[in-house]
Formats: sequence, structure tokens, C-alpha cells
Amino acid sequence: MIRGLSWRHFDFWLLGAVVLATAFGVAMIRSAIAGNEELLLTVSRQTQFALIGLGVIFLIAAIDYKYWLALYRPMYLVMMILLIMIYISAQPQFGAARWFQVAGLFIQPTELAKIVIILILARYFEKTQNEPKDLRWLISSIVWVGGLTMWILLQPNLSNVIVIGVIWAMMVWQNGVQVRTIVILAFLAALIGLTAILIPEPYSPLEEYQRARVFTFLFPDPNASYGATYNVLQALVAIGSGGFWGQGYGHGTQTQLRFLKVRHTDFIFSAVSEEFGMIGGVVIVVVLVFIILRCLRAARLARDVSGSMIAYGVAVLIFFQGAVNIGVNVNLIPVSGLPLPFISYGGSGLLSLMLGIGLVESVVLRHRQLEF
Amino acid sequence: MTSSVSDNKFHFSFWRLTLFYVVIFITFTVLLSRLVTLQVIEGETWTDQAVENFTRAISVPASRGIIYDRNGYILARNDASYNVVIVPANLPDDDADIQRIYREVSAITGVPVNSGTLEEAKLFAECVEGPGITQLVELGDSLAPYSAVKVKCNVSQDVARLVSERTMDWPGVSIEIEPMRDYPTGSLTANVVGFLGPIPANLEDEYRNLGFVPRRDKVGYSGVELSLQDVLSGRNGRRVVQVDVAGKEIRNIQAPVSAIPGSNIVLTIDTRLQAAAEAALLGEINFWNTYFGEVRISSGVVIAINPQNGEILAMVTYPTYENNRMARFIPAYYYEQLSQDPRHPLLNNAISGEYPPGSVFKLSTANGALNEGVVTINQVIDTPGQLVLTEKFSPSDPGLERPFVDWIYDDNPDGFGQLTFKYCIAYSSNVCFYKLGGGTASLAQGNREEIPEGLNIQPLYEYARALGYAQPSGIELPGEGNGLIPSPQWKRINKGENWSTGDTYIASVGQGYVLATPLQVIMSGATMANDGKLMQPTIVHEIIDENSKVVEKWFNSEDFTITNAPTDLDVSYQISPSIPNLKWDITETPVIKDYDCEGGYCEETGEYKTVDPFVVRSIQEGMRLAVTDSQGTLYKIFSDFPVAVAGKTGTAEYCDDVALANNRCQYGAWPTHSWTLAYAPYEDPEVVIAAFLYNGGEGASVAGPVVGLVMDAYFEIKSIDIARGVEGN
Repeated sequence: MIRGLSWRHFDFWLLGAVVLATAFGVAMIRSAIAGNEELLLTVSRQTQFALIGLGVIFLIAAIDYKYWLALYRPMYLVMMILLIMIYISAQPQFGAARWFQVAGLFIQPTELAKIVIILILARYFEKTQNEPKDLRWLISSIVWVGGLTMWILLQPNLSNVIVIGVIWAMMVWQNGVQVRTIVILAFLAALIGLTAILIPEPYSPLEEYQRARVFTFLFPDPNASYGATYNVLQALVAIGSGGFWGQGYGHGTQTQLRFLKVRHTDFIFSAVSEEFGMIGGVVIVVVLVFIILRCLRAARLARDVSGSMIAYGVAVLIFFQGAVNIGVNVNLIPVSGLPLPFISYGGSGLLSLMLGIGLVESVVLRHRQLEF
Repeated sequence: MTSSVSDNKFHFSFWRLTLFYVVIFITFTVLLSRLVTLQVIEGETWTDQAVENFTRAISVPASRGIIYDRNGYILARNDASYNVVIVPANLPDDDADIQRIYREVSAITGVPVNSGTLEEAKLFAECVEGPGITQLVELGDSLAPYSAVKVKCNVSQDVARLVSERTMDWPGVSIEIEPMRDYPTGSLTANVVGFLGPIPANLEDEYRNLGFVPRRDKVGYSGVELSLQDVLSGRNGRRVVQVDVAGKEIRNIQAPVSAIPGSNIVLTIDTRLQAAAEAALLGEINFWNTYFGEVRISSGVVIAINPQNGEILAMVTYPTYENNRMARFIPAYYYEQLSQDPRHPLLNNAISGEYPPGSVFKLSTANGALNEGVVTINQVIDTPGQLVLTEKFSPSDPGLERPFVDWIYDDNPDGFGQLTFKYCIAYSSNVCFYKLGGGTASLAQGNREEIPEGLNIQPLYEYARALGYAQPSGIELPGEGNGLIPSPQWKRINKGENWSTGDTYIASVGQGYVLATPLQVIMSGATMANDGKLMQPTIVHEIIDENSKVVEKWFNSEDFTITNAPTDLDVSYQISPSIPNLKWDITETPVIKDYDCEGGYCEETGEYKTVDPFVVRSIQEGMRLAVTDSQGTLYKIFSDFPVAVAGKTGTAEYCDDVALANNRCQYGAWPTHSWTLAYAPYEDPEVVIAAFLYNGGEGASVAGPVVGLVMDAYFEIKSIDIARGVEGN
């Protein structure tokens, strides 16, 4: 499979954008430490993960993605076991169990699960490409996704369930689901969502913190400056005080004096906006959009359905996580805990995204069966 | 092969894919426009908020001025009080270490490691014992982790040293040094020095504008601590610093304004004389109370003043309070106890207490009578044991007969017999002064032509005022009383009754409605001793600023402000550097309103007059005779005194609430206050001493010995100073 591989079609633009975003992320994390000793190790860790991730891109690109699709059964099973294990055994951290602690590092299988689900769905849509796109087809795809997603929902980790849901929906959309089916499903989803929010404890399927987040977003308490709205408000102050040119790298008062919370992960976009101003924010958006567009280019070039769906899924993943994260930072949507792709600190998330990029590169490398 | 590949290729539906591109475009457009709104349009608002986040103004406390007595003896200073504090953010990370530190700190300070809940701890004020160390630190950690939490306040120096030695083992634990007012002389000078307290809630804004920090800075509540608050307090410094989210100071944002320490104040008090005066007063009070087997004399005042410059050398009041007990906070039970005491220990009775002055007031009557020509210097006045007056409330009133008794009546019903003016003063003959004040025209018996027209009440008021009565002196102490010299109008308004001849008789001897503060009494004596020159009484000798320089300061006695230049010449006088402030000279300054009197009724002529120096001299001679003549009221006390003394005693009948409640206001046997006023040396007076003992009885035998002892102490101290080569007072 590797022998005779031509790197002629390797998308160096995509790789360049990813490396740029990741490097910028590392630099920003370094600034965001802001003297917090507990965060001192994050820079070197993120750098290590980035370098490993770079290797992963090339490794995965070298392997034909078809092999992964062929291994879908063991892959699915192992993923499910990992998710069940995390559900059962992991100790609670920050209110939710989402990590495996291996050798002092927190490994988050959920991040990997999103890539696995993209692969599983890609295989499913390739297999069913000639079947009618009816309700049965739709429900089968939900079953495939649901087998893994339910364990994520049980963690509980609603944000990533939504991410997976969006990936699934966008894939179903491109595979020709009928508009009528969408309307019915959307109606059902809205009904379920509303009841989930409105049903009081203890019957609600939502955890208290999830309900609280939704409520603080919908009805912020003007007096609760140190309450739940504190983090969001400080993020707005950070972004707003950045102005057009920013306060300069390492000179953002909100970041450096630690008024901005979780500034190396969820709110790193605020830290960027404060220190690099609107220019920094725009550059991040432009780089993200560029990465998404390159992934979509790979999807259009792909030689088969599964290749298209992999590249498309990764594009949706990056788009949705990026948009949601920035949306949270500028207080357009409730706090979700989704990281900013490639920029936020988080080894598992970065590695998984690198893995996804590797798959996209693998797709684009092989978009022609034969080279003459 | 190639075709099969192309067959398998995914064909994106154009509109479905385009819709995704559109979604991407719209989403990021919305996000970017939001970014523009926040950063460009609302940028300034958010920047202001960011600045507000990290900016903190810190008030740097100024040290309060020290109060010295005239010899440099410290009366009020700033002592260090040690608090054991914990800065939560500086505690070690390891819980076991924290627990070890808590246990060890608990062992030394006695504060339990755990006590109550966090919620309960919130209810406790700083320094109040109750919550455990864990609760206090946890509470502090949640509010401001870089601010010190007071675990135990006011620990001993030993504990402070122990804690300081362990700072290496106990990261986060330290000793905070808090300035605390300390009064080495305590209750001896409490009435003059006063005490401090927290800034009252209703004045918080006012003080905040002056840079004070409520709940941290303290302000004067009484004494010179209150009246000279502006000078003593200095000015707090100010630093504007950048802080991080935990409240840790990063750097100065603005150039810091350093605190200006308060000025030091040198009082005119001589602590040695003050102590001697207190001892004399307490000794006398205890003697009589023991003698009678009951608390007969409940309070007393001793004042010593230099008549030439008005400087108060001693001002003792009994009972008083211990101002050191108010140093950290004002204990409620103690304050309650003091404020409910009918003897008013919290008030400086030397200036606040208003009592009938009795015979010491005769100096005013004497001044007026001789100056107005009511009597001539050698005129012989008949002074029987009592006078019977036909008391009239109006000219047509047929009148009622009422006896007016001399104090000698009980011993000798015939009275003093024939007396000249000076002997009237020396013997303190009531009958003589009844006649001088009210005349003899209304007498039921005796020679009505002897003194056909007395001084009368309105002129008496004028002469009393000229000696300092019926007005606050303007001394730099808060809470001064006005005193009272009645007038016919006053009586009509306050008593609903016309003025009668008898009222004039009573007022002439300083009784009835006449009230005076001990300070006013001593001022009248000082004015006579100083040849008619009334000096502004003062308690402040000089004010020394932070550069150890004596500064020029004026005191406005009306609004109690201290300025660098005179404000209102009538009420503003220089308090530093020490200079004698002449209020007026009764022999030169026309301060006495002239009246034209006939038959007891007087009308203003619209003119002002002075007192003939001869009158002043004659009264001085009369006061001297009280010492030198064997029948003089002060003969027993001062005849053997090595320095020539002159003086006047007073036995003032009174019937106040306390006496009424004890059913002691029996006709002809009212309880009496004891007064004595004396000055020395007679030829060139440098000290006037007055003593007042509430319900003391006869002036000469109760207040007299007190004045004698203080006079003794004064010249003793003077000789010590001269022997040491120090300039005397």
C-alpha cells in the first residue's frame, strides 16, 4: 500500500494551514499560562502532541483509508469498549468523567470516537449508496451512530453528542435525505429538546449543569457578576478590550492577570482576540475557513463515496467545533466546553483532529486510481 | 477499471453542497460581525471594564500625631498591636501541610482549628473570636486570597516573636503590625486627651472625601483627639496599583502619593502637676467620703492656669474614664456604664459641667459695685447676720418679707458687723454683697439709705461677662458649656415670672440661677490676678509638623477648624507657636455695656465702658486679705505659705435633680458645692488654681485644702525645674 505511493497530490496547503494554526495555538497557550504554575507543562505537552500529530498525519496519509473501513468491526467494538470503560471506571473530573489518566496524561476517547464515527458513517453511506434513501436507511445510520454515541451521552457529554449529531445530519443531508424527512426529524428533535429543558429535575434527561448553562444563557442575572456569567463576561471584556490591533502578545490584561478563565482551552479565542485584536480573530477565522475549504476540496476530488464522506465529515467537525467555540467566546451561544480546533490546549483533541487531517490527506492522495 | 472508479465517485448534489458553503459563510460572517461590534464599536466600553478589573486604589494609612505634655512627656502615642494573620494564597499546596500549620498555629494562639461552619463564620466581625482557623481562611480564600486573614488579634509580643520565628516553617502565616493608640497616662489625662473611635456611619462620606477609609481609620471622639483631629490625623497616602484576579498587587499604575503623617501636639498640661492635682482631689474626696461613711462628694474638678498666657497647666476631673480601654475598639458594656453614670465621667466637667459658682462669683459683683460707684472703697457697710427684704416682683407690688442669711449666721447671728469693701471680699460676707448687688432700698428693716441703688442685674451680667462668664471660652476642647447669668428677660421666658430684688441679691453671690463652668470660674480669677487682662485659655502649647518644625496654626473656636492663618479675628486665635492671646483687658477694652439704673430698673445708654484699674487693684487686695487676715476665708490654708497667695472661696447652695431625688433640698439647708480659687505669687501671679467639689460643703475647708496642695505642688515642681536648670512654667 505504501510502495509506489506518490505524494504528488498531498495537500501541502492544508498541512501548512494546520501547522500554522497549531503553532499559533502553542504560542497562545504559552501566553495564556500567565504565571499559573499548574499550567506550566501545557506548552511542552501541546508541542509534543503537535509533533506526534504531524507524524500521525503523514502516517495516516500513507495508509489507504480503505483499510480502516475494512476494519470497521474491530474498530467499532474497541471504541465502544473504551467508551463503556470511561463511563464505568473513570473518576469524576470537573463534574464529568471524560478522561483516561494514562501516565499522567488525560486521554479522552470521545475525541477519537468522533473520527471513528466519521469512518463508520463513511463506510455505511458507501455501502448503501445505491439503496433508497428512505426512513429505514436513515434509522440504520442512527443505530450505527447511536451504538457509540449513547455512551458519550451517558458520561454525560452533551456537547460532543451534538457534534456527532451534526456530523451525522450533514452527512445524511449530502447523501440525499428527503426534505420532508428532515422536517419531521427536526420537529421531533425540537420537541425532545424542549421537553428535556422544561421537564424539572429529577425526571429531566439533562444534567443540572446543562440546564443551568442553558438558563444562564437565556436569562442572565444582571446582578450575578461573580456567578455563572462571570466567565462569559470576562471573555467579552477580554475580546472587547483587544480592539483592532490588540494589546500585544503577552500583554492582554484580562489574560495575563487571569481575569479570563479557562483561557488556554475553551476561551483561548478570547485570549487571542485580546492580545492580537480583531486582526488576530480574523486570521484565526480565515485559517479555519481555509482548512475547511481544503477538506471540502478533498471531498469533491475523492475517488469514491467513502473518501468524500471522510473528508466532508472532517470538514463538518472542524467547522462546527470552531463555530461553536467562537460563538461561545463572543456570547452568541451558551457555554459548551468545545475546544477551538488546532488552537485550544488538549492532546486528545489535537491528535484526533490531526488524525482526521491525515485521513483527508489519504483521500486526496488517492483521488485518482491510476497515475500516468 | 477507470470507469468503475468514476462510477463509485460521490456526486455532490450542487444545491446541497452549496447550501453548506452558504452556511459556513453566514456563520463566520455573523461571528466576525459580532467580533467587529465587540472590538471596534464597543471597544472602549470593554476596555474601561478591563481597566476597572485590574485597577485598585489603595489608601496608605498616615500615622497619627503624638500628643505630648509641655515637658515632652508622652500622653498619646501609637503602639504596635500584633495580629496573627494568614494569607490564604501563600499557604502550601499540600493539605497535610496546611493542617499541620493550622494545628501548630492553634497551639500557640489558642484559636481552634475548626469551629462552627463557614456560614457562621461569615457572621463574625474581624478580630471577634469564634470561628476556627479553617473557617476563617476558607472564607478569606473565597473573597480575596491575597489579603491577610486575621486569625488572632492583639497577641502578646512573645506570641508575635514565636510566630515570626516560624515563618519559614509556616508559609502564609505572618504577623501583621497594626498601629494602636496608647495613652501612657491613661485616665489621668483622659478628659483632656480623649480617645478614638471608628468613623461614624453618618460621617462616612465626609471622611471618605478627605481620604479616610471607614472601618480602618479611626477618628477622635473626645478631648484634643477630637478637637485637633485634622492636625493629628495627617493625610492618607494613595497608591493606584494593578492587581490580578486574586488581588495580588502587580505594579503601581500611577506615581504613589505617600502619606503625610499627622502633626505632633504639645499640650500646655504639666503631667506632674496634673498628677498632683488628681492626687489632691481624690485624697480630699476620699477623706470626706470616708469621714461621712457615704459617697458624699461624688465628683470634682481641679484646674491650674497661667493667668499671663492662658495656658492650662492642669485640668483634672473626677470621675473620668480609662481611655486605653477604648484603644482597640469601644467596649459596649464599658461605654454603656460610662454614659449612664449620672456624674458624666465621659464629659470633661471642667469645661462641660455647669454649677452655681457661689461666692467666687462675688468678684464680678465687686468689680461692678466699685466701678459703678455703688460703694466707695472706704465706705463702711453694716453686715448683720441676715437681711430681711421686702421682695417685690413689680414696682407696685406691696411685697413679701423674705430673710437673706449670711453664711456666718449659724456661728454668729450678729454677722461680721462693720466691713469695708476689701473685707467684704476677704470675709466673703453675703450680706455685704446682697447690698452691693441689690441695694438697700427694699429692706424691711435697717438703713435703707445705706446703698440706695445697688449694682442691679443687667450691669452685673455685663461685669460677669467681662470676667469670662456666660459664654464659652473658646478653648480647644469639645463640649464646652455656656454657663448662665440670668436677666429679667431670661426669667420671664424660662420661669414665667418677673425679676425681683431678691433674685438680684441671690445672683450677687453667685447663686440662684447663676451657673458657671469651672473653667469660667478660674478665668474670672485669672483675669483679676492678671490686672484685668482676660487671656484666651488654651490647652495647646504648640504643634509640630512631620518635619519637626513648629508650625503656625490658628484655631477657630466657633467651627473648631485649624487653619494656617487667622480666619475670623473674633473667634480665631493662634495656638501654635505658643503666644499669649489677649481676649480683652477690662481696664482698657470697653466691653461692658453701660446702664442707667433707677430704683432697680436699668436702661442701656448705648455706651461701653472699662473698669478702673484701681477697682481691679482693690479687689486683688481684698483677695489677698482673705489669706492674710486671721478672719479671712483662706487664712488657715495659705497664711503660712512661703509664697504670697490671694484667693476667694465659694460655698454654693444647689438643688439639682440628684439632690431633689435624695430629698436633700430642705429650706435653709440646701446641699452645697465647694469652691476655692487662689493665685500666687500675689505680686506677679503665674498660676491660678481652682478646685470644685460637687456637694463638697464649705469651700474653705473642702476645696481649700485641695488648692493648697496643688499650689504646694506647683512651687515644688517649679523649684525642681529651676534646680535642674529647666525653665519653669
